[in-house]
Amino acid sequence: MKHDWCTTAFFAGLLLSLGLGANAAADEVTITMAGGKYSPASLRLKAGDTIRFINDDNVDHNVFVPTKGFSVDIGKQEPGKVLTLPVMKVGKFEVECALHEGMTAMVEVSP
Amino acid sequence: MNRPFLLATLAGIVTLSGYAMAGPERVSLPQNYRDSLIRYLEVDRPDRKIVRFMYVNPEASAVARPGEDLPEGTVLIMEDRAAELDAGGAPKRTVDGRMVATDKILTLFVMEKRKGWGADYPADKRNGDWDYATFNGDGTRRADAKHDGCFACHKNRSQRDFTFTYWKSVADGTHK
Repeated sequence: MKHDWCTTAFFAGLLLSLGLGANAAADEVTITMAGGKYSPASLRLKAGDTIRFINDDNVDHNVFVPTKGFSVDIGKQEPGKVLTLPVMKVGKFEVECALHEGMTAMVEVSP
Repeated sequence: MNRPFLLATLAGIVTLSGYAMAGPERVSLPQNYRDSLIRYLEVDRPDRKIVRFMYVNPEASAVARPGEDLPEGTVLIMEDRAAELDAGGAPKRTVDGRMVATDKILTLFVMEKRKGWGADYPADKRNGDWDYATFNGDGTRRADAKHDGCFACHKNRSQRDFTFTYWKSVADGTHK
């Protein structure tokens, strides 16, 4: 009986720790760039997550964030190239392609 | 010298003078810009290991309105600073993931808007009434700088008066 309780407690603890581990782990979310659009164009993330930008188009694109406090330019992105952007700060920011006016996405980062 | 010839000569001189004035030489770096202008934004550029400080003159900032073209006399400066690097050569980051700028200024890009300046450029190049100039970190003019890239890149922000950050900062209310 004691053995059964210990076994149950062990597995419960293991499951709990795995569950907590999964929640604490940062996610990587993909945004595709093609046809003059980011897809998805709206994204909700947690601080610590990473956005993976894939240029799935046949022209150069770019990731530029003009929002104060988040502003970054990760440079020209050629077709097929993958670039990542970690998001560490809570808030909301806009992503735009410096090469194509009107190509935008919104990202909201929660704690 | 007869009168028509004199008039034609004068017209030629005026025209040539106009062309000579177009270009980076008419754009100056404001004195003591770090004290006299407003720093409205910092942009990380990790691929080049630089942080860009963006400035605007207070006269323009005082009258800029969301959604409208920027006023004549607007001066915008993009100051490229070397970023602090770790032992591996990667940019250091704050807890918010922001890069850290050093005091080392590498390059200064200035764009200025004056009524009529754009008329000196062909339509496929013209950026409204803006012109551009480049300076070294010590403030001396970089005479060999080419600005075709500035015109080409800024042209695709024609809906925001040819600016990437300031018009957007005004729209967001973060420009002061």
